Amino acid sequence: MANRTLTFLASLGRRFAQKVKGGVLAVQEYVILSAGGLAAIFTPPRYTREIVAQMDSLGVGSLSIVILTGTFTGMVLALQSAASLDAFGARPYVGRLVSISMVRELGPVLTALMVTGRVGSGMAAELGSMVVTQQIDAMRVLGSDPVRKLVAPRILAGMIMVPILTILSDAVGMFGGSLISVSTLGLSWDFYWRSVGQTLVINDFAMGLTKPVAFGFILTSVGCFMGLRTKGGTQGVGESTTRSVVVASVMILSSDFFMTKLLLAFFPLD
Amino acid sequence: MADALGRLDLDGGLSEQATEAAARDVDEPVISFRDVHLSFDRPILNGVSFDLGPGTTKIVLGGSGSGKTTILRLILGLLKPDSGAIVVDGTEVSQLSEQEMRAVRMKIGMVFQEGALFDSLTVGDNVGYRLAEEGELEEAEIEDRVREMLGFVGLAALYERMPSELSGGQRRRVAVARALVARPQIMLYDEPTTGLDPITATNLTDLIAKVRDLDGVSSIMVTHQLRDAYNVARTFMLRRDDEYVTSVVDDFAILEGTEFLMLQEGRVLFEGSPHELQTSADPYIKEFLS
Repeated sequence: MANRTLTFLASLGRRFAQKVKGGVLAVQEYVILSAGGLAAIFTPPRYTREIVAQMDSLGVGSLSIVILTGTFTGMVLALQSAASLDAFGARPYVGRLVSISMVRELGPVLTALMVTGRVGSGMAAELGSMVVTQQIDAMRVLGSDPVRKLVAPRILAGMIMVPILTILSDAVGMFGGSLISVSTLGLSWDFYWRSVGQTLVINDFAMGLTKPVAFGFILTSVGCFMGLRTKGGTQGVGESTTRSVVVASVMILSSDFFMTKLLLAFFPLD
Repeated sequence: MADALGRLDLDGGLSEQATEAAARDVDEPVISFRDVHLSFDRPILNGVSFDLGPGTTKIVLGGSGSGKTTILRLILGLLKPDSGAIVVDGTEVSQLSEQEMRAVRMKIGMVFQEGALFDSLTVGDNVGYRLAEEGELEEAEIEDRVREMLGFVGLAALYERMPSELSGGQRRRVAVARALVARPQIMLYDEPTTGLDPITATNLTDLIAKVRDLDGVSSIMVTHQLRDAYNVARTFMLRRDDEYVTSVVDDFAILEGTEFLMLQEGRVLFEGSPHELQTSADPYIKEFLS
């Protein structure tokens, strides 16, 4: 009996050690791929056509979901904050609360999560399919570097387009908040936008635009990484796609906390 | 006047590159494996050694999981061996970096199992991919070369098509054109006829023979389709008066230039001529051939 227990514990220990080793190895591979992708952005040859195509797919293709989620988030934020602020007789501060929340936090995070769901998963699926159909091998054999050709353009497109989409999300979010403030909360249009203008300062924009650059990097690099390490045929492609969304979302939310902590030191709330 | 590959004159004479290959020391192998070992969770290759001579064809046979495709991946540097040496055209490739491997890969054309065409590119762009990546030719020159090469494999009309619109046989032929467009010295075929009907498979084996006989290209063909392997060994192709002439040899005892290599669980079980393979007394080979 004791022997059995020992054997069971030993096999459990071995499996745990293997899991940890696999995890460490995956992190190492991710860092190498991301660093390679970043380095390839700054060194020739560059695949301009591929970069433009990715910017179009990531940016223009995500416009509708970013506008929709941004608008509704701003509207909900106005409703919820009004309910809380009424308790202190502070309803006129709705514009302040909506704008600062959208620009500093919700705009960047929600945009990144939406783009992760739409584009990060697509990248993992596309590259995963290329792996299982040997197109990545073919690319290497035909003289291309897959990191330079596939990963670098996607990372660059993410780092450029996610901040642009975030600006749009911030704008439509504040607009959504204004619609609710005017139609439901009885605030005037002028008052709402004046309070927004008085609230937002350069530090808010600095923080609100630094985060999306990092989020764009995370969602594209994770999508590419998961796609390129796909194994096991079409089933593997499905698993990579799911994993890329989960991992990128968790990384975005956790890095948001640490970045906020760090950026508050540089760009404090006035 | 040269053909699509620029190596054969209309009167059947050899072009410059083919002459060069023919003039090379016959004892100097184009590809050489020396005691190559590779393991993942289990041993994949176990002391594999063989040579591929200039202008010859080596047909690698064996069951699933015997290590056939691994040999091709090792030659291309897509995998690194645990031990042993792999020499490709005089260069030891087993320890080369990805960057250093590029020069070696330029000498090799590879036809992957399902073609591995790029889904997002047209047939023309697929075939011209390597030339476009090299960046040495103008777009118009690349297009001319691609159209010529598609004509060589009999698919000139499919230039603008997408890979998803092609049949299995057409995809493999486009893959052959893509591998040949940069005029490689060595061709590697990974199960090129798997999943094709007999007629399409025969068209493809004729094409493989055509590349070998008209260009003097050394090649390795991995397959478990015995019928197609024999077709490649028996078929000879000539070009006379702007026409391709095919001849098929029935007597296996006189076949030269094609060798068979049989793998069993990562070891070389047999290496020799088609005739020696047919007359082998080894029980596994007999079962495989039956």
